[in-house]
Parts: sequence; C-alpha cells; structure tokens
Amino acid sequence: MKKLLSSLLLLLASSSAMANLTIFACEPEWAALSQELGGDKVKVFSATTGLQDPHYIQARPSLIAKARQADLLVCTGAELESGWLPLLQRKAGNSAIQTGAAGYFIATDYVTLKAIPSSLDRSLGDVHAAGNPHIQTSPINIQLVAKALTKRLQDLDAGNAPFYQQRSEDFNRRWQDAIEQWQQQAVPLNGLSIVVQHDSWLYLFDWLDLNKAAVLEEKPGVSPTVNALNKVLNHLKKSPAKLVIHAAYQSPRATDWLVDKTAMSKVTLPFTVGGNEQSTDLFSLFDDTIQRLLAAHK
Amino acid sequence: MKKLKLTLLIAAVLAPTSLVFANDLDDLKIEVAQMRADYEQRIEQLEQRLAKAETTTSEIRTEVATANAAPVVVTTRNNNSFNPAISMVLNGQFSDYSEPSENHELSGFALQGEGGLAAEGLSLGESEITLSASVDQLLFGQATIALHDDAGTTEVGIEEAFIETLGLSNGFTVRAGRFYSPMGYLNEKHIHAWNFADAPLIYRGLFGNQLTTDGVKLSYLLPTDQMIELGGTVGSGGQYPSSGNHSGIGDWLVYARTGGDIGINHNWQASVSHWQASPEDREYGGGHNHGGSIADPVLFNGDTDISNISLVYKWAPNGNFRQQNLTLLGEYFYLNEDGQLNNSAEMASYDGKQYGGFIEGIYQFQPRWSAGVRYDWLGSQLRASDDELLTDADLDFSGFHPQRYSLMLEWLPSEFSRLRAQINHDKSSHNDDTQLFLQYTVSIGAHGAHSY
Repeated sequence: MKKLLSSLLLLLASSSAMANLTIFACEPEWAALSQELGGDKVKVFSATTGLQDPHYIQARPSLIAKARQADLLVCTGAELESGWLPLLQRKAGNSAIQTGAAGYFIATDYVTLKAIPSSLDRSLGDVHAAGNPHIQTSPINIQLVAKALTKRLQDLDAGNAPFYQQRSEDFNRRWQDAIEQWQQQAVPLNGLSIVVQHDSWLYLFDWLDLNKAAVLEEKPGVSPTVNALNKVLNHLKKSPAKLVIHAAYQSPRATDWLVDKTAMSKVTLPFTVGGNEQSTDLFSLFDDTIQRLLAAHK
Repeated sequence: MKKLKLTLLIAAVLAPTSLVFANDLDDLKIEVAQMRADYEQRIEQLEQRLAKAETTTSEIRTEVATANAAPVVVTTRNNNSFNPAISMVLNGQFSDYSEPSENHELSGFALQGEGGLAAEGLSLGESEITLSASVDQLLFGQATIALHDDAGTTEVGIEEAFIETLGLSNGFTVRAGRFYSPMGYLNEKHIHAWNFADAPLIYRGLFGNQLTTDGVKLSYLLPTDQMIELGGTVGSGGQYPSSGNHSGIGDWLVYARTGGDIGINHNWQASVSHWQASPEDREYGGGHNHGGSIADPVLFNGDTDISNISLVYKWAPNGNFRQQNLTLLGEYFYLNEDGQLNNSAEMASYDGKQYGGFIEGIYQFQPRWSAGVRYDWLGSQLRASDDELLTDADLDFSGFHPQRYSLMLEWLPSEFSRLRAQINHDKSSHNDDTQLFLQYTVSIGAHGAHSY
C-alpha cells in the first residue's frame, strides 16, 4: 500500500515537473493553438481528433481521467460540446475546470459569432442558439482566441508570463504573415460559388469572400432527403457552382450524390488539425485548405 | 441658409423687447449690450445643437447601413434566466405476448415493483421530467420525476433527486439524496437510455428494475491516465430489495470502476461492486402481476448481499460515433441471503442464492440505425425449512433456469427521438413466451448529456 501511494505521489510529482500547465483541449485546433502559445510549459491533450464529429463524443472513461488532471479546459463552446463536456466537468472532481473558473476557457466567448438563429426550435434541426460554432475556419478568429488564451495562460501561470508573452508575439508575427500570404494565394478564389454539405465554413467564406451557393443539409445536422437534394439541384441549374465541399469527418454521401448528378468537383477539406495527413498544425491546416480549393478551381 | 436662420432668430428674440420703455439712454445701452451677449450665447448653443443633430443623423445612417439582415435575437432579462434545464422524456409502446401476461413468472424470483411485464396492447410508458442546474458555486442539483399509470390511477414517483458537489477538488465528489446506486453499468442510467425496451431479467428479478439509494455517495477519482474510480454509498435501507426502517445505516455499497482507450477505435470500462443490507419485513407478493394485495404476505428478515461485475466495450471507426459504432456489454449479479421467512402463522429459516446476467451487443450500422441482440439467463438455489412458505413467497421453481433471447432494431431520426421494434423469446417459466414491442421514445427540452 505504502509503495502504491509513494509511486502515485511520484507520478504526480513527475507530471508536474515536466510542464507547468496541463491543458485539456476539446478540439484539435485548440490543442494546436495551446501548444503554439504554451511551448514546453504546457502539456496538451486533445479530446477529439480531426476525424471525429465533435458533437457526437461520448464522455468515456479516458476523457474523465484526463479532465481530472487538467488545469485548463480549452473548448469551442456555443453548445458544440453540450452532450459530453458538462458530464466530464461533473465527474472529474476538479474545481479548476468548472464553469466560470480560471481554468475554463471557451473560445467562442472571444469571437463575434455569425448565423445566430432568430428562432429556436428543434424542428429546425441541430441549431446552435449562440451562433455557428465552427470559428476555427477563419484565421482571424484564431488570432482573436490566441490573444485571449495568452492572457489566460499568463493568469494561470504568472511566473512564466513573459515567456507566454514572447511566444504569443512570435506566433502573432508568423500568423499575420501567413494570413497575408493566404489572402494573396486565395485571390483567384474570390467570389467563387461553392456548395457546402454542412454549414461548416461560414467564417472561411466570409474571410476569403467566397460565395456559398447552397447548403446540402436542408436543416443543420439532419441528413438531407432526396427531395431536399433535388431542390438544391434545381437551384444550381439557375445559379451554378463549381465545387462542393465536405469535412473529412463527415460522411460524403450527400456530396457524392450531387457530384454524381452534376459536373461539379468534390473537395474534402480537413476542417481542423488532423483532418488529413497534411494538416499537422494550424499553419498547414490553412495551407492545405487553400491549396485544395485552388487545385479544384483550376 | 444658416445666415437666414440667424436673422430670423434675432428678430424673434428682439420682438418682445421693442415694447420695453426706457427712460435712461445709458441704462438702455447697458441692457442692449447685455442682450447682445445673451443672444450670442444662445445662438452658439443653437449652432451646437444643430451640429449635434447632423452628426447623429450620419451615425444613424451608418448604423442602418451596417445593420444585420437577420432579425436580432431578443434575450429576456428576467427571473426566468436562472430556470433549471428542463427536459421531458415521453414514451409509449405496443406490447404483445403469446402467453397471457397474468401468467408471467420469473422462476426462482419474486417479482416486485416494476419488475412485471408492461401492459399488453397499446400503453403509455413512463413519462419523465428532469430538472437540473447548478445550485450555487458549490453544488449541482438534479431531480427526475416519473409519471405512470397503474390500474387506472396515475402514480408519481421520485426516481432521482440529489445534490452533488461541483468540483470538490482532488477527484472527490459527494452526492446526497435519492439516486440510482452505482452498481454495474445499466443501473445508473435511466430506463429510456437503455438499449432495449425492457430491463434485463436479472434487474427485474433482483431490484424490480433498478436499485436506488436514499443516502450519500462518496467517490474518488485517481489522478491517473487510466480512469480508476473508487467509491461507496450508505443509505436508509428503505428501498427494495432492502426494506424497513433503520435508525442508522440501512444499506451500504462499495464499488471500483476502471476504463480507458485502446488506440483510437476502442474503449472500455469494467466495474465490480458489492451491496449489503439487512431487510426488515421485506414483503413478497407485491409485484404488479399479482393483482391486488395478498391477504397474508410472506415476510423476510435477515441479511442480503449482492455482488456485481460488469464489462463494456465500445468501438467506432476513428472513434467517430456519428457514423458507425458497436457496443458490447455484459453484467453478472449474485445475490446471497440468509434469514427467516414468516407469515402470520408460520416461520421458517431461509437461505437463498439468486444469480444471473446478460450480454448484449448493439451495432449502429449507419447513422440513425441500430440493431441489437441480447441474451439473459438466471439461476437460483432457494432453501427453506418450510416449502409452503417458499411457494407463498413466489420463490419456488428452484432448479429451473430462465433464459431469454432478444432482437432489436431502432431508428433514430435525431438525437432526440427513437422508434424501436423488439422481439423476445422468453423462457422465464415453463411456458415459452414470444413477446413483441413497438416503442417510441422522445426527449423534449434541454439537450441532455448522456454518460458513457
């Protein structure tokens, strides 16, 4: 028993010696951002991968164990995680990550959300009362969140505040350069009409001035019926679009149906870090997204 | 334009003063000088107001130009903002049995509470209302009220009503009130979240569907990457299969639970638990299938303990549960009791062992569609110094092993609704029964979070 206890204590001590903050990120984009800003002062765990639908995650044992050890929770919010995060918070027995605590960081709190529904009813599908939660598809949102997250890291680990400041400035510089580069690369895409399977890229479209020709899902989160798809098809006859895109984690059934019926090309976008082999961090996520759109546009 | 306005204004202000009769020229001069200063001040004020009006107009113009095309959401700021999350589960079903349901028995088990079969034909199932919210900075509270019809009257029951600490720190959580006991896997879930239309036979036989505790629960989560949770409960001992009024601790339970991931596609959880109580005057023959109360019920006094092991395994390609997933689940219970049976006339020593389990597999083969199979089995060894009392208590048929096979298909149009069809081949007593269930279950209101 004594041995078990001492080895447990050792385990605790060793994990805290390696990093100052243990971060539980709900999605891979926030894990990547936390790593960019925290460097070796943080130990980051991502609850989901780029190939998982973040809405349909189970509060499984390994997540409870990780939430128990976290100093900081970095999640999207806007009800994206409402099916599992509250349960993890309740089961973890960890005061640091409770709602409103310093270790509870919600990315959508720092971004102006779009597509806030004017009426809420379950018959409208999977509507998010707070607005469209897929904010990571615009690098400007990432920058806003980075600013707030830096401050949070500094609050939680005051001793290393200058370290986080320096990393944040470095990230901002590189990110700003990257944004300019992406914008230049994406000039040929301006005004391009694109069909989306689910409204996942609202923020990307606004940033790059792309035109959303249609959404295949008649109601968010509900697989479209053939009737609804035919409606989209008729609409596209009048105002054609060139591409149809879906996220790597989504079943491409509806997209495939449309590609089959039209001369449109299908693009599978990574959607987040880890959505495909090329998207290993936030920079390569946007590199890859823009390259894929450009390649399909040619 | 401005000049014209000014002249008009001066004329207007001067008009009444022309009526003033002044004797002294000097006085008049002073007065005029004062007036001039006064007008100048007023004119300045008017000019300022005009300028302000012009800027406001331009501000409004920009505001209109940048206004949202979509209507603005109005959030009410009144007392309702702090209302708890409210959700309600509605369900109804059609049940058909090849054998008359009043003949239904579970060999070796006395059916109690809700342990019997659902009413034959069309029936309204249990309607559940759940309210939950943070109480304050320390506590969370949740209550589930169930409504169901029984013999023409509507019964209201408190399924759960508890408070729980919100992040007590160091992995500790304390819960108090009425709650489903942390025994096994299914027991802590509400029936509507189970994978089949009816409870496993062993849950029906031992608990009359579910085991609840009125008391306190303490749990501790170890700070390890492998989830390990240890905990226990103490309760009043008033809930079946315990019974009676206990001045101190009437029942207690200890449990250990562990689980984790295997790669990205697989995850699992295993648990062991042990429950113990000393029932006083536990009454047999109160089951729903026996119509009316028995004039001279058999009572049990003694010690009861139940042990459980459970194992759950889940699989989803890439860990993405949306598209496809598989759940395998098995549980085993063993009850051991020792004491006396008596009715008003007789008394006998009694030694009973009841055991059994189930295994089930649920496969979501495409989004919105699942199919499942389940196998149940039970066994018992019941001995009493007077066999007649055993028969009266419905604890006869010892040595016969009930079994049941179930097949299920369900369609879930959304996260909030489910249609289910299920067929059972039930060999719970000597006459085999084929059972059919068609069931709908929906949840309205707040988006509930479902546990693993």
